[in-house]
Amino acid sequence: MIEKIIRSVQSIPAFPMTVQKVAELVSREDYAVTDLVNLIKYDQAITANILKMSNAAYFGSRHKIKTIQEAVLYLGQQNLLRAVQTAGVSRFYRKVGGGYVTKAQELWKHSVAVAMMTQILSQKVFHCDDSVLYTAGLLHDIGKVFLGEYVQESFNKIEDLVTNRGYSFLDAEKEVLGIDHAGLGGLIAEHWHFPPEIKDAIAYHHRPDLLDKEGDYVSWLVYLSDQLCLMIGVGGGIDGLAYKGLEEALTRFHLREQDLEQGMVMLLEALEAAEDVINIV
Amino acid sequence: MFIENKLMADLIVGISDLKVSNNPGDILVTFALGSCIAVAIYDPLVKVGGLLHYMLPDSALDLKKAEAQPGMFADTGVPLLFKSCYRLGAEKKRMVVKVAGGASILDDTNFFRIGQKNITALRKIFWKNNVMIEAEDTGSNYNRTVRLDLSNGKFLIKSSMGMMKEL
Repeated sequence: MIEKIIRSVQSIPAFPMTVQKVAELVSREDYAVTDLVNLIKYDQAITANILKMSNAAYFGSRHKIKTIQEAVLYLGQQNLLRAVQTAGVSRFYRKVGGGYVTKAQELWKHSVAVAMMTQILSQKVFHCDDSVLYTAGLLHDIGKVFLGEYVQESFNKIEDLVTNRGYSFLDAEKEVLGIDHAGLGGLIAEHWHFPPEIKDAIAYHHRPDLLDKEGDYVSWLVYLSDQLCLMIGVGGGIDGLAYKGLEEALTRFHLREQDLEQGMVMLLEALEAAEDVINIV
Repeated sequence: MFIENKLMADLIVGISDLKVSNNPGDILVTFALGSCIAVAIYDPLVKVGGLLHYMLPDSALDLKKAEAQPGMFADTGVPLLFKSCYRLGAEKKRMVVKVAGGASILDDTNFFRIGQKNITALRKIFWKNNVMIEAEDTGSNYNRTVRLDLSNGKFLIKSSMGMMKEL
């Protein structure tokens, strides 16, 4: 079965180039607004989604946005980049069916929530936003999109290992299917030519302790954001909270339990402001 | 029956929210409790009930937030839940109290204790106020969706693992 699953990665459509091109362009200090507008306009799916989302309170524009031109002008660089990333990623979540969640939107909502939580934690720890973390957060469960049907088929076996033999859901997936959703997500990120820190964060988002790479913080903060969203119950699925708790995620960043609780409160606020973002799937 | 009920008058209780009703046709529902806790109370004589879905144990974390959204914390949400039902004619001595949620991630470090803290906070509040928990399904590591049927006080729990039970 594992060969079949791994082969299926090759047939996953390419990741929209627009997202990477926009990130590149925006990272230059002297980019021209018209170049950016043209780049986005070329991708119809992203354009449509950006217009649907950009008036969400989460992106904080005080002007009503009706065109890409206005989105580029009013959203600001960080928010525009996030909106483009979100719009680009969302297409892959549209076809989730069965397996982990009953509705595609639940996995998408969870992904958006984790991406937002990475920014809340990044603000707490580093006092700034971080677009690498945001992307890794949005994509951390991409493996679930493609593993869902297999998990559904073998659910009884997986459930037995989790309920009766103390397996984490991740270990049970690996034991029964030969690969887990994090590992599969890593392969998909490779297929999409993502930079190593994003690929690793996806592949190790339940076990950042096994990555052991110097300077790595992305996988740890995605891990922590994911656990917090599972605890709050945002877009939780059949896997519930059956994942390993790692104390190091807190000590590494000098976070206390109180910081986590405050993060949960802030996430609920962010989610309320992000309804339009969640509704694009 | 659990699924067909969706077509009836479901009042959905969001995270950090609470709802009460005296309409026997209503079903109060809350989805996917992780570490959060659902408290369901019901007075069978007047058929008044309420459902709270709180996220955190103690409003001391953020008093302003607690004022705006009392359902977020156990210590502000629980009193409001009871008072709101009293206003609809329920009485404390007849109230049947059931509790679900408070799950934890697999915890060899005892570090992410919010689920456990949520349970403890609730027990303390009930202890102080002489309230008995009639039935509970708390802890473990799965999500729960719960429904309180206002026509008969039935409290149904569906776990993310697919199990269904009445408390």
